[in-house]
Amino acid sequence: MNVRPEHALTFFSWLAAGIVMTAVFILIGYLLIKGLPIMSPALFFGDTPWRAAVMGIEPVFDGIYPAVAGTFILIACSSFIAIPVGVFCGIYLAEYARGPLKNIFSFMVDLLSGMPSIVMGLFGFALILLMRRTLYAQANTSILLSSACIALLILPYLIRMTQVALESLPESTRLLGPSLGYTRWQNIWHVLLPASSTATFSGIILSIGRAAEDTAVIMLTGVVANAGIPRALSDKFEALPFSIFYLTAEHRDELELQRAFGSALVLLTLTATLFLISYCIQRRFKRRWELGE
Amino acid sequence: MKKVTFITVFAALCAFLAAGSIQASELDRFIGMKGKIDIAGGTAHIPVMNDAGKNIMKFNPDIRITVAGGGSGVGVQKVGEGLVDIGNTGRAVSEAEKSKYGLVSFPFAIDGVAVVVNPKNQVKELATEQIQKIFSGQVVNWKDVGGADAPIHLFTRDEASGTREVFWEKLLNKGDVAQSANIVASNGAMKVAVAGDPHAIGYLGIGHISKDVKAIVIDKVEPLQENAKSGVYRVTRNLYMNTKGQPTQLQQAFIDYILGPDGAEICKKYGYIPISE
Amino acid sequence: MLFCALCITAVFGFLVYFSCPLLSNARGLAGIFSSVWKPFIGEFGILPMLAGTFSLAFLALVLACPLAIGITCFIQGLAPARPANAVRSLVYFMTSIPTVIYGFVAVFVLVPIIRDTFNRGAGFCLMTSAITLSMLIIPTMVITLEADMRQRAEEVRLGARSLGLTPAQELLWILLPCSGRGIVVAMVLGFGRAVGDTLVALMVAGNAPVIPQSLLDSIRTLTAHIALVVATDSQDQAYYSIFAAGLLLFLIMALLTVLIRTIGGRFGQREKRHERAS
Repeated sequence: MNVRPEHALTFFSWLAAGIVMTAVFILIGYLLIKGLPIMSPALFFGDTPWRAAVMGIEPVFDGIYPAVAGTFILIACSSFIAIPVGVFCGIYLAEYARGPLKNIFSFMVDLLSGMPSIVMGLFGFALILLMRRTLYAQANTSILLSSACIALLILPYLIRMTQVALESLPESTRLLGPSLGYTRWQNIWHVLLPASSTATFSGIILSIGRAAEDTAVIMLTGVVANAGIPRALSDKFEALPFSIFYLTAEHRDELELQRAFGSALVLLTLTATLFLISYCIQRRFKRRWELGE
Repeated sequence: MKKVTFITVFAALCAFLAAGSIQASELDRFIGMKGKIDIAGGTAHIPVMNDAGKNIMKFNPDIRITVAGGGSGVGVQKVGEGLVDIGNTGRAVSEAEKSKYGLVSFPFAIDGVAVVVNPKNQVKELATEQIQKIFSGQVVNWKDVGGADAPIHLFTRDEASGTREVFWEKLLNKGDVAQSANIVASNGAMKVAVAGDPHAIGYLGIGHISKDVKAIVIDKVEPLQENAKSGVYRVTRNLYMNTKGQPTQLQQAFIDYILGPDGAEICKKYGYIPISE
Repeated sequence: MLFCALCITAVFGFLVYFSCPLLSNARGLAGIFSSVWKPFIGEFGILPMLAGTFSLAFLALVLACPLAIGITCFIQGLAPARPANAVRSLVYFMTSIPTVIYGFVAVFVLVPIIRDTFNRGAGFCLMTSAITLSMLIIPTMVITLEADMRQRAEEVRLGARSLGLTPAQELLWILLPCSGRGIVVAMVLGFGRAVGDTLVALMVAGNAPVIPQSLLDSIRTLTAHIALVVATDSQDQAYYSIFAAGLLLFLIMALLTVLIRTIGGRFGQREKRHERAS
C-alpha cells in the first residue's frame, strides 16, 4: 500500500489546525494587547463618577457603560420573551407532535434558524412601518422591538436544544412518571424537564450569547450611536456590538478608537464567559451521564 | 408649592451664576423641561449634536437626546415619517421633500466639502478637471496627476449622503463616479478609510479634516472654512436641522440652543462656521 | 409552536407585501434584476449584490472546506488526544466569538496586509472578506462534520483495526469516502452561514455595487445592501429593492434548508433500513 497519501493527510490536518488556531490566537491576542492597557473606569464611565453612573443618577458620556447596559437589557428582554416560548415549543415538538405535523413544524424551526439576522431586522423594521400606517401611529423602533426580533432569532436554538435534551433521555427515566401514575403533563413537568434541565440550561446560555452578539438585527430596529441608558422599553438604546461596528468605521480620534477596542474586549469576555459556563455544564452533564447510566 | 419651585429655580440659577459660565444662561431655557429628542441624519452634524446633547442632558437629566447618523437622505425620511424628531441634512431640503412631509428647515452652520488624500501622498493640488477624471475612473494612477506610481483607491459615499450630493453637483458637475469605488457610510468613516490607506482619495466635510488626512488645494484655492465663508471656495453647503411641522417647545429650545452662542462655540470647535457669523 | 409557524409566515408575508409594489409591474421587476445600481439616475438593479453574495459565499467555502476537513481529521484521530481535545474546545469556542469582532479585527489586521501585499485596491475586497468569513463558518462545518464522522468511526473502528490500518489510513480510505454526505451537509450549512452574514461583508468587503471581476474587487452583498439602504427614502424604489433583497435571501435560505433536510432525510431512511436489515 502506498504510504504517502496518509502522510499527506496527517500533515495537512496538522497544517489546517495550525492555521486556524493561529488565526484565533492572533485575533484574541490582538484584542488583549490593544484592549487590556486601556481598561479603566474612565473607559466605561467617561468623566462621570462610577457610583453615580451605575446607580443611574448621572448620565454617562464618552464611556461604554451605556452600551454595556443596553446589551444587558437587550439580553434580559429577549430572554424573557424567547425562553418560555422556546422551551414550550421544544416540549411540544419532543413530546406531543407526531407524524406529518411534527415534520412541518420542525421544518419551520429549521427555516427560522436559517434565516439571516438582517432579514429578521428587516422584518422588525417593516412591522413598525406597517403599525404606523395602520394601528398605532406612534410606534417606533426601540429596545422592545429589538428584543422581540432577537427573541425570534434565538427561538429556533432554544426549541432545538430543549427538544434534543428531552428526546435523548433514556427510556427508564421516561417511564418513571407513568409508573407512578403521573399524567403525561405531570410526567413532563416533574420528571422529564428536571432530568433534562442541565442540557436545556446550557442551550439557554448559548442562545443568550447569540442575543448578545447579534448586530444586524438591532441595526435596523432601534440601536443608535448615542443614547445613554434606556429608561423605558420604547427608548432607543446603545449596544456593544453596534458601538464596535460604528466606532470601527468612524472614530474621530484615538480615544474613540480605544473605546472600540474596549467594547470589543468586553463583548468577547461576555460571550466567552457565557460559552464557558455552558461548556462546563455540558461536560459535567456528560460525565455524570457516562458514570451514572 | 409655588415657593418651593421658586426656591429650586433660584438655587439652580445661583449655582450657575456662581459657576460663572456663559453656558448657564444659554442652558436656562431647558429648566423644567422634560422629554426626549431623537435626532438622526447627516453625519457631519453628529459631533455638534452630541456635544449639545451632552451639555443639555448634564444640565437637565429629565431630557433625553439620542443621536444617530445615516446620512441626509435618512434625516429627511426619518423625520418625515415621524421616526425621529429632528432630521439633519447636509444639503437643502428639496421642494418635493418639503411639501411631501411638511418639513421646516433650520440652517445653523456652513461647511465646505474638501477632497482629501492620505498625508503620505505627495500630491498637494489638483484641478477640478483632474478630480472629475479621477472620480469617473479615467485616471487610475497617481503618477498621472503628479504623484507616485501607485493605483488610486477611490472612496465615495452612499446615496443617502448630503456630502456626496454637494460634491457631485458642485465639483463633479453631476458627472459619473466609477462604480468600482469603495462606499463608506459617513464622514467619519471616510476619514478613517483615507487616513488608513496611502493611495486613497475621498471627500469630507471640512469640519472633519484633521492631521490624519490632507485636504487637496483645488484650482489654487485652499479648502479652508474662511475661504468657504468668503465664497472663494465654492464647494460648500449649509448644515440644516429639520422638523416635521413647527417644532415643539422642547425641540424649539434645542434648535435655539444650537443657533445661540453656545451652539456657535460647538460648531467652531468642530470646524464649522456658525450661520450667525 | 403555532407561534413559531406564525412568525415564519409573517416574515415571509411582510417581505412579499413590501416588495409587492416593485414586483407587481414588469418594469420594476426588470429594474431589480438589472446589473446597474445607480439610484441617482433611477437604476435599481440588485444583480451585482446577488453576484457579490454568491461569489463571497463560494470563495469563503472554498477556503473553509479543506481547512474544516483537515481539522475534523485532526480531531478524529490524527492527533494525540490532548492536542485533539484542545483544538476541539477551541473550535467550539470559536462559535462564541461575535461576528462583529471578526470584522473588527479584520479591518485593523487583515485589510492592511492585503492592501500592502497586493498593492492593488484598498484592501476592502472580496478576498479579505472571504478569508474573514471562512473563519466564521469553519466551526459550523467542523462541528457538523465531526458529529457525522464520530458516529461512523464507531461503526468501522473495530473492522479497521482488525485490518491493521493506522488511524490515518482508516480516515483516508474508509471514513472520508464514507462521509461524503456529511461533507455536503457541512458545506451547505457553511454556505448558508456565509450567505446570511451581514457584518463581515459590511465591514470589510468595500460595498461597491459592481459585479466582481477579480479577488481584489470591492463587492457588496445582499445583506450589506439591506443594511446600507434600509434608511433611504421610504417611497423610493431603492427602498423597495431591499425588500426584494430580503425576499431573495429568504428564498435562498429556504432552498438550502430543504436541501439539507432532503440529504439528511434520505440518509436517515437508509440508516433505518440498514438497522432493520441487521
